[in-house]
Amino acid sequence: MSRRRLRFGGLAICLVFAVALVTALTATAGREAAGHKGQNYKIFLVPKLIGVNVFTENGKGAKEAAKELGDTVIYNGPTEAVAAKQVPFINTAAQQQADAIIISANDPNAVAPALKRAAARGAKIVSYDGDVARDARTIFVSPPSASAIGQFQVEWLGSQIGYRGEIAILSATPTAANQNTWIKFMKAALKKPKYRGMKLVKIAYGNDNPTDSAKETQALLQGYPNLKGIISPTTVGVAAAAQVLQQERKCNAVALTGLGLPNEMRKYIKAGCAKKVGLWNERDFGYLAAYVAHYVLDGKLTGKIGQSFKAGRLGMRTVVVSDGNRPVVVLGDPLVFTKANVDKYNF
Amino acid sequence: MRTALLFVGRLLARWEVLLVIAIVGVGIWSATLSPFFFVRANLLDLLTPYAFIGLMAFGLAFVVIAGEIDISVASILAVSVVCFSQFYDAGLNVWLALVAGLAVATGLGCINGVLVGIFDLPSLAITLGTLAAYQGLAYVILPGEGVAAFPESVTKFGGGYVHIELPIALLVLISFAVVLGFVLHATRFGRYLYTIGSNREAARFAGIPVARVRVTVFALSGFMAGIAGVVYVGYFGSARADAGQGSLLDVVTAVVLGGVDIFGGSGSMLGVFLALVLVAELRNGMQLANIAGDTQNIVIGVLLLTAIVLGNLTRAIQARGLPSIPRRKGVIGNATASAGLAIEPETEVKGR
Repeated sequence: MSRRRLRFGGLAICLVFAVALVTALTATAGREAAGHKGQNYKIFLVPKLIGVNVFTENGKGAKEAAKELGDTVIYNGPTEAVAAKQVPFINTAAQQQADAIIISANDPNAVAPALKRAAARGAKIVSYDGDVARDARTIFVSPPSASAIGQFQVEWLGSQIGYRGEIAILSATPTAANQNTWIKFMKAALKKPKYRGMKLVKIAYGNDNPTDSAKETQALLQGYPNLKGIISPTTVGVAAAAQVLQQERKCNAVALTGLGLPNEMRKYIKAGCAKKVGLWNERDFGYLAAYVAHYVLDGKLTGKIGQSFKAGRLGMRTVVVSDGNRPVVVLGDPLVFTKANVDKYNF
Repeated sequence: MRTALLFVGRLLARWEVLLVIAIVGVGIWSATLSPFFFVRANLLDLLTPYAFIGLMAFGLAFVVIAGEIDISVASILAVSVVCFSQFYDAGLNVWLALVAGLAVATGLGCINGVLVGIFDLPSLAITLGTLAAYQGLAYVILPGEGVAAFPESVTKFGGGYVHIELPIALLVLISFAVVLGFVLHATRFGRYLYTIGSNREAARFAGIPVARVRVTVFALSGFMAGIAGVVYVGYFGSARADAGQGSLLDVVTAVVLGGVDIFGGSGSMLGVFLALVLVAELRNGMQLANIAGDTQNIVIGVLLLTAIVLGNLTRAIQARGLPSIPRRKGVIGNATASAGLAIEPETEVKGR
């Protein structure tokens, strides 16, 4: 008998908790529902996934732009970077009569049918970061161009080692398309007179895995005793390499640069183990995407090459052609993090 | 008066009834959260993004009722989808390619079935292995970007609409629920599953071809993953090796929330369908209210936990208070079918 009572008691407690939780959630959700008045556009930002600082920063940037423009930005998406889980968010944005949807797609094709359905219901589509099928969006807002990312990393390393000596690249996987494009532009930059003194001795692959990347870094240090610097154009690789340099006390002997997240690299930057690490400004990225969406809604941007607009504090931007005649707005040059500025960024 | 109370009590103790009550409750809640919820287009489209999950859950329900588990369904979907797209890309007629994709899915399910049913290996371990192996296979068959151009005659099964608003995927989902519900609840094969799931040894002594039934059930699960793949390709218009990734949790949620006893022997197709409706409705309502994705997960998790606790309770009520229903493990959802079962297999034996 007492066991029975215990079971009922437990159940009652569970139910009370469930009801309390649901009520609390309803209360907070009710406040977020925003109306649509006049020229104030309702814009949905669907990132690849939420709960990741990079995308949170995009969201903050977009909201900042929306405030300046008098729009409303609603930032929401799945908790896993899966295209099939982005689709319900696109559907419900369309159902809420979204004026525009800004999306960073997990799969360029899988979200396209949903975006086209949303467009048929009147929403304008802008992609950023992860582009979607060309006919499913008006404009793509792109991170800094591959050539800029390649060249800047060579400069960041060169400036640390006096533009001479043996250097190596620590990449992700041999098949990663973005990595290979950046490496191609690094090699092109190394042919320029300014960088002729730098000799690329090895391209290693750490598979975007911390353990493999650390092993490959150790192998580089042992295999090339005269190594002066490493470029790692992957956030996983550059963090692993910095850790190895710090452990092996080689921070002064071997310079390191690459693409890294300020939050992950802060301690290494401050310790002098990676004096210059770059990426782009994720907050500006979201800010620019929201401006593009606003001007697409205003009819100022239709995807025609050469149209230009003022993107708030970022200044003038122009729609340019990217590979395959795609209309693209480029964020700008990469951003470098050093001891002096790294604390300003949180992603 | 007392019989009336008893009737109400018995009705409330039925899992499907509880699910319907929950669906109505969540519906009311969602309608107060967002003015966009209670709109015909939204309600009709509620299940479409989850149709492929539902189809996999239907297949998995058969496996779980038979007392096993198949966690490789999402990987089978991926292989089936990439095979279909590769056959089609190679110039095969699109319908032949589709049938070939389904055959591959059924074959992969069969491999699971043979390892579990004939070699008598634990299904959790086997399908954990094939989960990884099939996923890898999908990447080998189609590395990289994937295929995106399929003719509309095929994609309509996932992404098409009748009369603009009625999604064909919903019709596909309901058709399979009805057909599989019939197989599960009204055929000898279905009754065998409940018996095997309740007590495999007893089923064997009763003369049920246990090994054959278990192989069949995994093949069916594979086939349903293939069907889910067809709907997936139609709805998302894309065939990549990562198709279906991250959906396993939702599939298992639909089955467990649907009242299928995870230890086998009980469950109903209607329950699984209603559970899918409930999860889809809950997600849709919260998304329309722009509740953050991570908070949505918490709510779904709490729902699942509540379901398990409530499931235990209804089982306890049925076992204790209602003498007309046999006192045995797992009667949620399918009291009548299970009650009939206690005698069925014996008559079967006598007939031989």
